[in-house]
Amino acid sequence: MSLRLRLGLLGALAVALPAGVSAADEPPAAAPTASQRLRYTLEDIEIRGNGRTAARVILRHVPFHAGDVLDVGDPEIELARYRLLGTGFFSSVSMSLRRGGRRGAAVLVIEVTERNTLVVQNLWFGIAADEDTAGNAKPLSGFLGLEAAETNLAGTGIALGAGIAVAAQQLALRAHVEDPAFAGTTWSGLFSVVYADARDFFGSRAVIWESPQLGAAQASDYAIVAYQRYGGTLGTGHALGLFSQLGLDYHLEQIDAIVPTAASHLRGDTREPIDFAIHPGKSLLSTLRASLTYDSRDLPFLPRRGTLASAAITAGVPPLGSDYGYARVELSGQRWWELPWKHVLHASAFVGGIAGSAPFFEKFYIGDFTDLIPDRVLDLTPDRRQPPNLLGTSIIEERFGDFAAKIDLEYRVPIFTGKRAIYGIDAFVSGGLWGVAAARDLTSPPSGYTGLRRIPVDLTYNVGVRLDTALGGATIAFSNLLGLIPAGTTVQH
Amino acid sequence: MRPLGPLVLALALGGAAREGVARADPAPPSTPAALPVRVAQLALEKGVVKLTVGYRDVVDAEIARKLESGLPTVVTMRGYLFREAGGDPIALTARTCRIVYDLWDEVFRIELAQPGGASTAVAVNVEGVLRNCAEARKLPLVDGALLAAGARYFVATLVEVNPVSQEMLDRIKRWVTRPSGASAIGPGDSLFGSFVGLFVARIGDADRKLAFRTQAFLPPAPAP
Repeated sequence: MSLRLRLGLLGALAVALPAGVSAADEPPAAAPTASQRLRYTLEDIEIRGNGRTAARVILRHVPFHAGDVLDVGDPEIELARYRLLGTGFFSSVSMSLRRGGRRGAAVLVIEVTERNTLVVQNLWFGIAADEDTAGNAKPLSGFLGLEAAETNLAGTGIALGAGIAVAAQQLALRAHVEDPAFAGTTWSGLFSVVYADARDFFGSRAVIWESPQLGAAQASDYAIVAYQRYGGTLGTGHALGLFSQLGLDYHLEQIDAIVPTAASHLRGDTREPIDFAIHPGKSLLSTLRASLTYDSRDLPFLPRRGTLASAAITAGVPPLGSDYGYARVELSGQRWWELPWKHVLHASAFVGGIAGSAPFFEKFYIGDFTDLIPDRVLDLTPDRRQPPNLLGTSIIEERFGDFAAKIDLEYRVPIFTGKRAIYGIDAFVSGGLWGVAAARDLTSPPSGYTGLRRIPVDLTYNVGVRLDTALGGATIAFSNLLGLIPAGTTVQH
Repeated sequence: MRPLGPLVLALALGGAAREGVARADPAPPSTPAALPVRVAQLALEKGVVKLTVGYRDVVDAEIARKLESGLPTVVTMRGYLFREAGGDPIALTARTCRIVYDLWDEVFRIELAQPGGASTAVAVNVEGVLRNCAEARKLPLVDGALLAAGARYFVATLVEVNPVSQEMLDRIKRWVTRPSGASAIGPGDSLFGSFVGLFVARIGDADRKLAFRTQAFLPPAPAP
C-alpha cells in the first residue's frame, strides 16, 4: 500500500520515507511575497498573428481590459491562454507583458498562431445486413456518413457544418450554424436544418404488406415505409457552472410518408397488423426539448475519471402545430474510474420512456442499444437485421420501442500513450444488458413467450481499440464480426 | 528491512503557503536507475547529507525567452534518494524557484523555497537566474544517521519548468472541454467536444522537464 506525503501540509522540505512507503510529493511552494506580487496598470491588450480571427473573438476569452490592475501572478492569465487554445482556432498561444507608456503600466501581448479549423466531426462507414426468418444472410449493402465543420467561419468564431449519410436507397443531409456566444452573450445560438429521403423496415416474421405507391403486393421479411423529412432546429445553450450545461431547442419539420395500405406480421405466434407509428402523407412534427448535462470528465474521448450525466425531455406539442403529441424522457449516467494499476473502468446506465404517439424515428431504436447492429447514421437506420437475441427472449419482436434501458460495463487497458500524432491507444472490452419494449408489450405481450422470456431484453458485448490521435478520436470495434455477421468499421472523429 | 527512527524528518520549516503549489509529476521515477547519470557532490554537514548538483540545461532558448515575458516562471526540482540495490525511495528533497521579470526595474525577482526556508533574490540577467534557480547547492537531503554504512545510494532528480498543478490541469481540461456557451448539436457530436478532444490530450503538465540520477555513492563521511 502506498502513502502519499504532502509536503505542503507537513511543512517539511526534506523527508525520510519508511521502507515500503512510496513518495508522491509536491515541491515546496514558492509563494509570491508582497515584493514579488508585481502589479501593473494594464494599458492595452495587443494581439499578434491573427490573420483571420477577429480580435473581438480573441478578446472574448480574455478577462482583462485596459485600465485594470493586472497582477502578474493571477492564474486567469494562464487560464485565458488555455481558453484560447481550447477554441481550436490556434495551434499556439503565448502571452507576455511589455512596458507601457508610463511607469507602472504594461501592455499584455497575446501572440497566436492560427491553425486549420475545418474539422471532420463524425465519419461512419460499414455494411448493413439482412437475414431471412431462418437466419440466413441476404445481400449486403454499404453505408457511409460524414459530418464536417468549419469552426471559425471567416474568423468570427461562428461554426458552420454539414453532414451527409448515404445508404441503400436512403439519403440524409444536415447543416448547422452555431455561435458559441450569441449576440455577445453567454448563451450560444444554433440553427440547423435536416433533410432525409429514407426508408425503414417493419415487421418481425412472415410479413405481408401492400403499398400501391411502392409496387405490387409484397411478401417479404419486412414492410417498407418510405418517407421524406425536412425541417430545422433553433437552439441555445448556457453553462450553469463549471460542469453543468442547459440546452433548449425548438424543432419543426414536415414529414411526407408512404405507408403500406395494409400490412401484417407474426408477432409471437399471432398474426397482427403492423403499427408504423407515422401518419401517411404529409404531417408536421413540432417539438420542444430541454436538456441538462453534468460533465466532469477529465478528457472527452478517453476519459479516465469523472462523470457524464444528462436528463432530457422532448415534447411533441400539438398547440405548436405538431401532428404528434408525445413526451420523451431520457436519463443517462456514465462514470469512469482509473484503477490503481492504471486501467479504466467505465459504467453506464440509460433509461428512457415515451408517452403518447411519437413518430417511429423519435422512438428508441434497437441499434442504439446493442453493439451487434450498427446504430443510426444521421437518423438513418441502414441495417435491417433483428436483434441477435442471445437470451432467447421476445426482444426479437422489437425494432422501435417506447421504453428502453441499458446498463453497461467497459474495461479499458491503455496500451500506448504518446504526445504527438497519437495521444493514446486503449484496448477495451465491454458487456451489458439492454431492453427495448413497445407500450403495447406491457398490455398485450407477444404470444408464444413464457416466463422471463416475455421480458424483451438481450445481452450486448464489444471488443476493440480506441485511438486518440491528432486527427481525432476513433473506435475500431469488432462486435459485428464477433456476431458472425460481416460488417465494417465505425470510426468516429 | 531495518526500522527507521522518525518517519518524517523536518529539516526546515519554510513557511511555504499552499498557494501555487506545483505538482505536475508527483510520483518518483519508475526506473530511476536507468536515468542518465550526472555527477553530483554529496557531503555530510552537521549530521545531514547535502546535495550539490546543477541542471542549467533545463533553461533552453524558449524558457529563457519566457523568463523575460514579465509573467512568472517556476522551476521545481525533486531529488529522490534510492538504495542502489533497489526498492522504493527512502528520502526526498525539493526546491522551488519562482522568477518574475520586473518590466520597469529591469531585474529578475526571484523567490526561492527549499530546506532552510524561503528567501528572495534579485538577478540582473539570465545568468543570475540560472545561478539561483538551476543549481542546488548543499541542499539538505537526508539525516546521515538513516543511511546504512557500506550501502550505496543514488539520487534520482526531476526538474520541471512551469509545472501545472493537478487542480489547475483539471480546471483547464474541464474548461476547454465545455467552454461557456457551447451547446451540443446532438448526442455525441458536441461541436466543441469533438474538436477540443484534439487539444486537451496535448495539455502538457510542464513546459519542460529534465530527469537524471547521480552517481552511486557511499554515505559520506563528516568533513575533518
